[in-house]
Amino acid sequence: MAIARPSPSLKFLLPGLFLGPVRHQQSRSASIVSDLRNVASSYNKRIRRGRGPSSGKGKTSGRGHKGQKQHGKVPAGFEGGQTPIAIVHGPRGWDNKYSETMSPLNLDRLQSWIDQGRIDPTKPITLKELVDSRCLHGIKDGVKILARGKEELKTPIDITVSRASKEAIKAIEAAGGKVVTRYFTKDGIKSIVYPHLFKTPRRLANPTARKDIEYYRDPDHRGYLSHTVTEGESPSLFWKIPGPSKVGAGPQNKGAGAAQKKAKEENRLF
Amino acid sequence: PTVLATIHKFPSLEPSHFEAFPSTFLHAPLRRDILHRAVIFEGDCHRFGLASTKTRREIHGSGHKLRPQKGTGRARLGDKSSPMLRGGAVAHGPRPRDFATRLPRKMYDMAWRNALSYRYRRGQLVVVEGELEMAEPDKGLALSVLRAHGWGNEGGRSLLITRFERYNLKKAMAELGAEGRVLTVGEVDVKDLLEMGRIVIEKEALLHFQEEHSEE
Repeated sequence: MAIARPSPSLKFLLPGLFLGPVRHQQSRSASIVSDLRNVASSYNKRIRRGRGPSSGKGKTSGRGHKGQKQHGKVPAGFEGGQTPIAIVHGPRGWDNKYSETMSPLNLDRLQSWIDQGRIDPTKPITLKELVDSRCLHGIKDGVKILARGKEELKTPIDITVSRASKEAIKAIEAAGGKVVTRYFTKDGIKSIVYPHLFKTPRRLANPTARKDIEYYRDPDHRGYLSHTVTEGESPSLFWKIPGPSKVGAGPQNKGAGAAQKKAKEENRLF
Repeated sequence: PTVLATIHKFPSLEPSHFEAFPSTFLHAPLRRDILHRAVIFEGDCHRFGLASTKTRREIHGSGHKLRPQKGTGRARLGDKSSPMLRGGAVAHGPRPRDFATRLPRKMYDMAWRNALSYRYRRGQLVVVEGELEMAEPDKGLALSVLRAHGWGNEGGRSLLITRFERYNLKKAMAELGAEGRVLTVGEVDVKDLLEMGRIVIEKEALLHFQEEHSEE
């Protein structure tokens, strides 16, 4: 039963008569067996070469005209005997085997998982919840939470990951949530995600490398060690914030300072 | 969450009581793609794959060269079994082979649950308590029972699923292919569950399916 559609020219004159696209009549067969199909993405056009012009791969069958490649094959990158460009230039750069690959986790995926009920936002979200619900396919050296789809995050969450981007932190806290970044080693991650592999409960390691210590001391990163940084101290272990010098140093303590200096002089060897 | 299925008495089909089944078993959302994959998988496995042709080595005849390579002014020819020639072999013809494919067990189980859910939602799953068995192996008796409930050809045929082999029912329905089909639990395929007008199943058989094809 086709719905009559007014001609395009009349559409503008009589906007009320525009009924939209024609809907096909639903067909119902005796059994669903005659109407079974897979998802559209699992069907791929089969290319049969040399079967006529309309197929798009007729005549030369995608090989072009004449030459070694039409009649046979040439090794990839081969330049007829001339030293190939990849050998002339040599390898580019080097691979840093100490670099850490963080598995990215974006906010749109996290919100989608919460909407599907695969992650419970009322409980703290740890690496285990992320892996068990397949929000992450696996964890490499850690997890970094990133802010793609930050407008979609509406639920307050309590999440602990290795690292977090500035925008992700902003978005999570704007939604009323809390993010804490914690240092994880590969073994630490394993003990959290696969606790059944360990006979005894394991404690988590703390950072030893300066770069890591500084990262987790920084309140801007919501690091778990940021509480150890006193006011007026910078998270860096080397650089100091310019301003008034050490708390406690001043004319009042001159006496104690002088006593210290005297004790030092008495102890000198030369 | 659970859904209720009415358990009936056989052959009167008087409703006896309700029983709850998990909604993941009888009320799963339709997954046409999973059903498709399961039906194709079953079809592949059922193939005999016996089509066979003779290759040029198998064709009867010797390897003697039919005419000289050069000088005759005609095309060059080797032996008589060449695929170019009439009476020669088939080039790349079918050979007996195994067409079986594999499907993850969990996918197949999901297809099973999906097929039962599809039937349940349409009210085409009739669960019967006790045995689905006739008093006599009598064709007329079976026919009268089917007609009484509209289960026969006029009702789109029925698939009767029994937990164990029911001799009388099987014999009675042997010539009633146009009215329905009898299968034991081991003989049923996903395709059978989707084919006919309805499924009439013994409660024990349904519980057996639940045990075999649940999510675990």
